[in-house]
Amino acid sequence: MVCAIPSPTLVGLDTSTVQVEVDLRPGLPAFSVVGLPDAAVREARERVRSGIVNQAYAVPTRRIVANLAPADLRKSSAQYDLPIALSILAASGQMPAASLDGVGAAGELGLDGVLRPVPGVLAMAEHARRCGWRRLVVPCENAAEAALVAGGAEVVPVRDLRDAAETLAGTREARPVEAARGHDGGAEPPDLLDCRGQSAARRALEICAAGGHSLLMMGPPGSGKTMLARRLPGILPPLTREEAVEVTRIHSVVGLLDPGAPLITRRPFRAPHHSISVPGLVGGGRVPRPGEITLAHLGVLFLDEVCAFAPSVIDALRQPLEHGVVDVVRANIAVRFPARPLLVCAGNPCPCGFAGDAKGRCVCTPARAEAYRARLSGPVADRIDVRVDVPRLTPDDLMGTGGGEPSVAVATRVRAAARHRRGRGQVVPNAGLGPRAARAAAALDRDGERVMERAVDRLGLSARGFDRILRVARTVADLAGADEVGTDHLWEAIALRAPGAGEAR
Amino acid sequence: MSPGPGVGAVVGLALLAHDLNRDLQRAARAAGGAARLASLAPARGAAVVGCDVARFAGAMDRRRVAEARARCLRDGATVVESDALPLRLRQVFDPPFGLFAAGRWAATAPLLDERPVVAIVGSRHPSAAGAAFARSLAADLAAQGAVIVSGLALGIDAAAHEGALDAGGRTVAVLGCGLGHDYPRRNAGLRRRILEASSVVTEYWLDTEPAPWRFPARNRIVAGLADATVVIEARGRSGALITADFALELGRVALAVPGWPWSEQSQGSNELIRSGAGVCLGSEDVRSEVPHDGWVDADTPAPPPPDGRCAEVYGLLRREPLRAEQISQSAAISPAATAAALAELEVQGLVFRGEGQRYWAVRRGS
Repeated sequence: MVCAIPSPTLVGLDTSTVQVEVDLRPGLPAFSVVGLPDAAVREARERVRSGIVNQAYAVPTRRIVANLAPADLRKSSAQYDLPIALSILAASGQMPAASLDGVGAAGELGLDGVLRPVPGVLAMAEHARRCGWRRLVVPCENAAEAALVAGGAEVVPVRDLRDAAETLAGTREARPVEAARGHDGGAEPPDLLDCRGQSAARRALEICAAGGHSLLMMGPPGSGKTMLARRLPGILPPLTREEAVEVTRIHSVVGLLDPGAPLITRRPFRAPHHSISVPGLVGGGRVPRPGEITLAHLGVLFLDEVCAFAPSVIDALRQPLEHGVVDVVRANIAVRFPARPLLVCAGNPCPCGFAGDAKGRCVCTPARAEAYRARLSGPVADRIDVRVDVPRLTPDDLMGTGGGEPSVAVATRVRAAARHRRGRGQVVPNAGLGPRAARAAAALDRDGERVMERAVDRLGLSARGFDRILRVARTVADLAGADEVGTDHLWEAIALRAPGAGEAR
Repeated sequence: MSPGPGVGAVVGLALLAHDLNRDLQRAARAAGGAARLASLAPARGAAVVGCDVARFAGAMDRRRVAEARARCLRDGATVVESDALPLRLRQVFDPPFGLFAAGRWAATAPLLDERPVVAIVGSRHPSAAGAAFARSLAADLAAQGAVIVSGLALGIDAAAHEGALDAGGRTVAVLGCGLGHDYPRRNAGLRRRILEASSVVTEYWLDTEPAPWRFPARNRIVAGLADATVVIEARGRSGALITADFALELGRVALAVPGWPWSEQSQGSNELIRSGAGVCLGSEDVRSEVPHDGWVDADTPAPPPPDGRCAEVYGLLRREPLRAEQISQSAAISPAATAAALAELEVQGLVFRGEGQRYWAVRRGS
């Protein structure tokens, strides 16, 4: 007899259905799994066998064949343990086969038959809703996450195999589930109040947060670049519910969710080390996994020591920064990951970090320092809107009592700027404006035109550089609550300009 | 081998110098001139130069010289004979046998005779202020009709070329290697700009590699082409001082931009002033030292003095270079307004960003 149960499977961040079929045939007792399983799936045989026995069920003494369809999709997760085990129970008559109708399941079995959580349950629950499944059986630990999907399949949290079989058969009451909420407690996010001095950099952070502009901070070590960057998520507007679910889905697939609080409500902050590989940053692998840029989606991607990253890694940022998505194509699979982080780069002016130091501590040859800085020029520098110098702190700054604004005050202005932008009838953040849209949104009067003419003339701006200044000026005007972009806004945007490829810096 | 001076002799001697990897000035003096040296029979010539007969004959071989000339033609290099050299250059002790010139030599050569010519040389690792001054001085002089000559080195040389080009003027780069070498690589873009507007010249054969000893020899051409040589930020043993020495030996004007007494960066320039060189604080100093009919009055109006917020910031910076943060504290202006004022001043050319993220005020006119 053949019994089947569907299991939602992850393909990148998307899902598709894998039909788990089990057939019991006469013959010598054996158990095989077919359908392009990898090692983790093939080993399901041992877990399922032990799990069934240790939950006081019997493994049928027949030839068991489990097939995972479609056969051409590579399966690589332990999540098929539960559907295989349930199908065996149903096929051998140890539970009513009809109770599997309209039921999807995913879960890893322990040898004692207790279920272990699996990654990507949020995406699976969405899949169940799309497919119109009646119930979705998941391990208890994943239930709160699965329940985030409203109006979908009934989430059935189960502790072990017997629990699953009996709940489905109706001989045991289903446990109640509650959708996850963001956790309110935990460590407070870092506050701008902790940073000393650096008023110019604070202002740049505010502008970047308000307009979604990417930022480059240049300065010697110890001047507070990392500290400032870590405080950027705190001044960004909070995630909306849809955004929170979107972020949670990504982190769930990678298995990065905090089991205590499976809904991510804070904007992610990702700071990969500079030894990261290209697939690590943009995603990849034989079974494609999202990279850091996708994990930072809707949050902040911070590249500290940006000049120390491999040039190929920096170049790989190009497509995601332009289109907000990463397309990962492998021999037999192509997936698309969302990638719309706020990019923040920090760099030293030279390899030793002391270039231009008043005490002359720089030991780099000019050629070496130049080569170091040249790593940042080119295609990615062209996509950085705002650049700010973060100089070494003076003794006054260090002795002072801090005295900066708290993040709350800055966040209020950032929100007001976003409101003002929407009030102008513009939905996309200023950083997302195309050349034509930027020129329309930041229409210049006579004085403004004269300012830009002179800037183009003196600074040798490229067309791209010109548009970047307009976009940033639009954000400065939004922060000031102005409908028109004035000359002061333009001048400040010019001060924050990031020299792109081939421009004088 | 055709006797007498001519393009063939220039190419032949350059090939020989390239083959031997040394210069032939002493041999030329012994033979009584470059043309004579080139026309000697191989055995005699080899004896004068002090090399194998085969080497000498090989370099002067008619077919090889013809091939070399064809290659010059193909690579766009003009061969300038000794009697077509710019007038001032012919007065140099040990003048080059000829020049290889790339770019718009035909248009540039007459200007080297008709216009005032100023060499601007200095440190390869200048301060931001030094480079900015070099750029501004070159731009001012070029706008007043001068041709700017320098050595296409990094630092002051490059800044001088750039300043002249930015002002729409003419500038000639003298190389210490053959035209076939893009050296220094980092100035490749600048070199292309110079080739489009003016000319790059050298006395060396196309393939001759840059070598330390060739740069002082190159400096004699830089000084020889110019009416006046201005030295900016020369350290104690800078090659720029060699250029100034050549200028003084020729009885030309040598000027130096003074530096802070304790600054190592300007030790050489300050020594030069102490030993009698003129002081250069701006283009007017060069103009008053070099009487020439070719000077014109620049028609660029002086930028309007800064007003309001900018005036306040500019006033602070004229006293000493400051970082944006310090400005906003001393003048009690918001960081946003400070940034705006600095950008405005920068675009007006009144301030520039220097080392340590400090802003420096530029002094204009007064």
